Amino acid sequence: MTRASMLSLALFVALLALWEGFVRLTGISPLVIPAPSAVLIVLWEGLTVGFLWPHVWVTAVETLLGFALGCAIGFVAGVLLGEVDFLRRLLWPYVLASQVVPKLALGPIFIVWFGFGMTSTIVITALICFFPLLENTLTGLQSVPPEKRDLFRMLGASRRQTLLRLKIPSGLPVIMAGVRVAIVLALVGAVVGEFIGGDAGLGASIIAAQGMMDSTLMFALFIVITALGMLFYQLTILFERWLLSSWMKGKET
Amino acid sequence: MPNSPNFLDIHAASFAYGGGGDVVSNVGWSIPAGALHCLVGRSGCGKTTLLKMAAGLLQPTAGSVQMLGKDVAAPSRNVGFVFQSPSLLEWRTVLDNVLLPISLHQTVIQADRTAAEELLELVGIKEHTNRYPRQLSGGQQSRVALARALITEPAGLLMDEPFAALDAITREELQDDLLQLATIRNTTVLFVTHDIGEAVYLADRVAVMDAGRIVFSADIDLPRPRNQTQRYSTAFNAACLDLRHAMTPTRRAVA
Ligand SMILES: Nc1ncnc2c1ncn2[C@@H]1O[C@H](COP(=O)(O)OP(=O)(O)OP(=O)(O)O)[C@@H](O)[C@H]1O
Ligand SMILES: [Mg+2]
Repeated sequence: MTRASMLSLALFVALLALWEGFVRLTGISPLVIPAPSAVLIVLWEGLTVGFLWPHVWVTAVETLLGFALGCAIGFVAGVLLGEVDFLRRLLWPYVLASQVVPKLALGPIFIVWFGFGMTSTIVITALICFFPLLENTLTGLQSVPPEKRDLFRMLGASRRQTLLRLKIPSGLPVIMAGVRVAIVLALVGAVVGEFIGGDAGLGASIIAAQGMMDSTLMFALFIVITALGMLFYQLTILFERWLLSSWMKGKET
Repeated sequence: MPNSPNFLDIHAASFAYGGGGDVVSNVGWSIPAGALHCLVGRSGCGKTTLLKMAAGLLQPTAGSVQMLGKDVAAPSRNVGFVFQSPSLLEWRTVLDNVLLPISLHQTVIQADRTAAEELLELVGIKEHTNRYPRQLSGGQQSRVALARALITEPAGLLMDEPFAALDAITREELQDDLLQLATIRNTTVLFVTHDIGEAVYLADRVAVMDAGRIVFSADIDLPRPRNQTQRYSTAFNAACLDLRHAMTPTRRAVA
């Protein structure tokens, strides 16, 4: 472990100790700020007794399905807009306008359409993931240096070959940056989607805990959500490394 | 023999980038099949633009460009182009980059791989065959680009300062390799360079470009096959001096 990471760990422990000491000394109500020790106990029970797992599962499934759906559609739409000038000119103003629409605000209408539960949440999550992929795919495909395009023209490459063998690989680092943004947004989307219309999942559990005025449980849920987010993010990074492994060769980091 | 058309015929061709003034204006130039012509000129005078017109990558705004008597409407696979920057695919190995012109149109067979390896050996980077472009130096990358242009054995080669990033010795070696290959394959070459000595050494005929026009041209009557000792001959130096003068404004009127 490096000196810096040891120091940040020490800082984390110190902050926890400070927090614990503060709660014990002032005797502040656990409804306002629960002690870290109490949060850890609830978390431990939740995981060993197992009442948290079904919720973790629901949120994970919603996040991943929404993410996969949103990324896939965003990528395809990005390729279409990137390749077909007419479509891009036609749809670009709408794409820009829809960027500004707060997607989560559409939650209630999705509940009307898809009902309470996973479907609405997945649709919201997909919608949120759609935009970073659309935009980064479009940017990535258009960022091919002109000389490389000329090279492919010179070599008599078809349009499809130029797309598959030049534009997409060339734009892949930019596209993957969009994927990284999307996975973070996906979890936020799933949790907040559950706030609005979920009957199960970590977000729905936070609302339920709030109803029971159980702040300790809410903190425990924050920790679970954070851990889940970190797990997804790390997996995405690993996937990106694998996908870009030949890209990375010789790139000084 | 019937009067066979030149490999390349440029008639009064002009080109302007969208909205701007002419970058190439009223250029006429012909290259007989199998000849090697060099184009020199100062930076920004329109050499790359003219070369791209010859390739069919740009369409002349006036005049015409013909290859073997036919108008060049689109790039032809019969012509190799070495771009001013190496333009390699960073995510493919050196070998895959060299094989790209083949792999786009048919499955690569062992004979192609062998040919690619021979070319990489010729340009002196065989040991880097399985590395990636970003792991190579600039000069090594431009040699990969050269091998890529040669792999299909095109009838014509358009080369945009292909040796600019190389040291003097490597450059001389590659000049000799190019001359040898072009002779064996009877390749027609249009070669752009900044280097007067290089132009004289390689060319049957040189042209000097300035502000979009060809302002000087001359046949180089040095014996072939050329060898590097010729560089120190009187005739060679005289040709260089002529070219040198043609490139400086004060003498342009005379030329
Ligand atoms: N894509 C472009 N759009 C607009 N102008 C361009 C473009 N490419 C080149 N030009 C202009 O055309 C002129 C000639 O450019 P060109 O690239 O043909 O020069 P060059 O002789 O190859 O120069 P160098 O020796 O530096 O490569 C320059 O003045 C340049 O600014
Ligand atoms: Mg140039």
